[in-house]
Amino acid sequence: MKERLNLRVNGENYEVFAEPSSTLVEVLREELNLTGTKTGCDSGRCGACSVLIDGKAVKSCNVLAIQARDREITTIEGLGGRNGELHPLQEAFIENFAFQCGFCTPGMIIASKALLDENPSPTEEEVKAGLEGNLCRCTGYVKIIEAVLAAPGKIQIRSAK
Amino acid sequence: MKEYATVGKSALRVDGVEKVTGKAIYTDDVRLPRMLQIKVLRSPHPHARIIKIDTSQAEKLPGVRCVITGKDVPDKRIGLNVKDEHILAKEVVRAVGHAVAAVAAETREIAEEALDLIEVDYEPLPAVFDAEEAMTTNPPAIIHPDLANYGYMLTFTKQQDRDRPNVFNHSKIRLGDVEQGFREADLVMENRFTCQKLQHATIEPHSYVAQPEADGGLTMWFGSQAIQVPKVHLARVLGLHPSKIRLIVPYVGGGFGGKMFRDEALTAFMALKAGRPVKLIYSREEEFYRGGTRVATIVKIKDGVKKDGTLVARQIEAILPSGGSTESVVAFISRNCMYAAVGLYRIPNFQWDSYGVYVNGPVTTSQRGFGSPQIIWAIESQMTMLAEKLGLDPVKFRKMNFLTEGEKNLIGERVHSIGAEQALDDVVNFIKPGEKSKAEGAWRKGKGFAIGAKYSEAPTVSMATVKVIEDGSIVVYHGAQEIGQGCDTVFAQIVAEEFGVPIGRIRVVLSDSLVVPYDHGTQSSRSTYHVGNALISACRAAKRDLCARVAKGMRVSPDDLDVKGGVVYLKSNPDQKMDIPSLFLGYRPEREQWGFFAGEGEITGSGVYRQNSIPQDYETGQIDPKLADEDKRATAFFEYTAKAVEVAVNVDTGQVKVLRFGCSTDMGQPINPKLCEGQAEGGMAMGIGNALFEEVIVEDGVVKNPNMIDYIVPSMGVIPPVHEVASLMAPAPHRDGPYGAKGLGEGGVLGIDVAIADAVYDAVGVRIKDLPLTAEKVLRALKEKQPGA
Repeated sequence: MKERLNLRVNGENYEVFAEPSSTLVEVLREELNLTGTKTGCDSGRCGACSVLIDGKAVKSCNVLAIQARDREITTIEGLGGRNGELHPLQEAFIENFAFQCGFCTPGMIIASKALLDENPSPTEEEVKAGLEGNLCRCTGYVKIIEAVLAAPGKIQIRSAK
Repeated sequence: MKEYATVGKSALRVDGVEKVTGKAIYTDDVRLPRMLQIKVLRSPHPHARIIKIDTSQAEKLPGVRCVITGKDVPDKRIGLNVKDEHILAKEVVRAVGHAVAAVAAETREIAEEALDLIEVDYEPLPAVFDAEEAMTTNPPAIIHPDLANYGYMLTFTKQQDRDRPNVFNHSKIRLGDVEQGFREADLVMENRFTCQKLQHATIEPHSYVAQPEADGGLTMWFGSQAIQVPKVHLARVLGLHPSKIRLIVPYVGGGFGGKMFRDEALTAFMALKAGRPVKLIYSREEEFYRGGTRVATIVKIKDGVKKDGTLVARQIEAILPSGGSTESVVAFISRNCMYAAVGLYRIPNFQWDSYGVYVNGPVTTSQRGFGSPQIIWAIESQMTMLAEKLGLDPVKFRKMNFLTEGEKNLIGERVHSIGAEQALDDVVNFIKPGEKSKAEGAWRKGKGFAIGAKYSEAPTVSMATVKVIEDGSIVVYHGAQEIGQGCDTVFAQIVAEEFGVPIGRIRVVLSDSLVVPYDHGTQSSRSTYHVGNALISACRAAKRDLCARVAKGMRVSPDDLDVKGGVVYLKSNPDQKMDIPSLFLGYRPEREQWGFFAGEGEITGSGVYRQNSIPQDYETGQIDPKLADEDKRATAFFEYTAKAVEVAVNVDTGQVKVLRFGCSTDMGQPINPKLCEGQAEGGMAMGIGNALFEEVIVEDGVVKNPNMIDYIVPSMGVIPPVHEVASLMAPAPHRDGPYGAKGLGEGGVLGIDVAIADAVYDAVGVRIKDLPLTAEKVLRALKEKQPGA
């Protein structure tokens, strides 16, 4: 039986009807059409479905939608500014060629956001440890690491403005 | 090399903003009204006869709209090289995972539930899993008893080995006399190298959406590395005119050779049968059974060398098992892997035999290199072993045997554009093989390197069209697929260069078979070279058209004019010029109004690039020497790539870590250096996984690790520190390439396994000839080397 559920996603409130067994990624993609969050392995390994719940990166294929009820969910669609301005991390990914096929990219950027929020100037080792749960098959990670290491400087410049 | 304005510069990717914002559309993001979800019932048996299928209970389940089995699907067999399977199994299943029935239902959950309600009675048949057993003249099971009567692509018709019933291809090269060569040699070495089954593990699974159209045709969105070739095959099996089939490839979440010819026909057939849009997304388990795995290859290699290092003879036998069907391309892989052995070294006596063999296993297919990495694993491992045995420097030993410009390679082609020597020097200088690093605790350090050549296939064709629109921007239509490699950016750069405009003025259209011109497909590292050439022709045609239009008004000859930076100008006096937007009627810049249309019709240019090839003799693999002297060839070009690593091996656990990684690639003129680096670095992670731990484990046809937890995909932790990674370039421009470019996607993984295995040998003195080099295998080898240690 579907249940009524309040979800707060990217600062907006939504009322959805979902099975108790529905995962968060299913509801985000199928009910809210927020298709930026991807489904990759369906086993919590690849991280393509990463979203923020109350600021922490979680794999939304491993979370039931009802567990996210009334909590603050951020997806890739909610990362940039309202006027289409890119988040510094998104800029850093573009400038550093940190993606190829792009399928892991929303999850990778979301996980990087959580990492930088907790540790605003991580070392390379800390980036590797923080993003170990997000797989990319295309880039070999070098440019992703470079992008994440470049982002703090951009964030500082942005907040100084 | 020549300097260009945009070509050779690292322009930012044209798909950047879409991809970092989540706006890029992939197949699973396509949703249509009344769309049904497909689930496929797959065989639990590796080889069995289907006695009966009862779908009646499944059909009664509320929400189920359509159930199909083998008896519903067309009798025509599908397959590109060998037509050896139906859309659904008709009488016999030949692999675990072979599709037996399919359900379309309102939700995926209902479709899954319906699968459980389908009853299938099977009569198990004897099965064969081992390739060498399968290829004998009297195998325990004959997988396709009627093989001789199947439709075969012409390349293979003569190569069926009638005495070996499971062999669907036997390819040969005969050059000189290997037996004589071995007699002349001072050292003869023989080894057997094997490598494992891998899975592409693209983060996006295989995905299909199909919509039946009012005219009886259909539109399909799918993650694919080709559109035109699948269209023709779909038309044939579905009995539709090609004009009724529209194939659209949105962004593709990774390919690596695996996103071609899977369940296109099943999805299309289901859409037509159900009369509603349908979607099929593979589960991760389906990826391992049906999505495709790399061909686990057995390579037996025998070399004869003179004391001074001159290679005099080489004999290779390669055995390439497919699954229960050839999955369209395995016949080709089992043939074309020969090119990995012919393009780098001079060997007067050479004999090659490769076999494509059916076994009752999961689908095998092309994966980044189309069989070349497996062959190079054997050749390059053997090269270092030979050098050691002869007491020669392994770098000099390789170089003295390199083919040089203009020489004939082992199939008789005259070689051109060879960056091998520089590539090898680059990585050797980076890794410094002679300088050994100190051990740390249980970790012993060692260095290794390798070099390889990857051909690009021929004959193939690419076409391209450009259209100049009212603001002077250029729209690009091409038939390749943006699978992550960055082809759309490369094409935009080439067009920007030709028109002398910033890359921001170029708009590239994604693949849509109703819109874009013909292309052979995104494979064999061919897109930059082929589409690039077609685009240059297209741009020049459009510019000629622009000049002709302006020439009339200026009362000059079109030859007096040229196009650059959005204007058509007089070459002798560039101040005399005309803005492209002013060729469009209604253009009123003072009213901020663009023009409506170009008076003399659309300003377009089309180009075609056809890489011809000449046939190889079936018995000798050689091309006609007269034609070779006219620079005719069997392949398009060769990319050369060298790799070097330093590793640490833990003598207590057998674990191997890659500490440093260097590669150097001859891709011809790099169009976008950062994108080239991306291929090299992506190849690095994939190559490390392939060398050390990735393996699809199959027992009696059943995959034991069909998920991303048990099949380990390289994560960030396995790559060396960023400053220890060097992706270098050794470009040898090609006279036929666009701006001298060749290609490079597949070369990314070539030789990494060899370099790592060599480095392990350098570190701890054990040589492992069977991939992957798992900790368990390394530890076992260490114990065998020093019993009791």
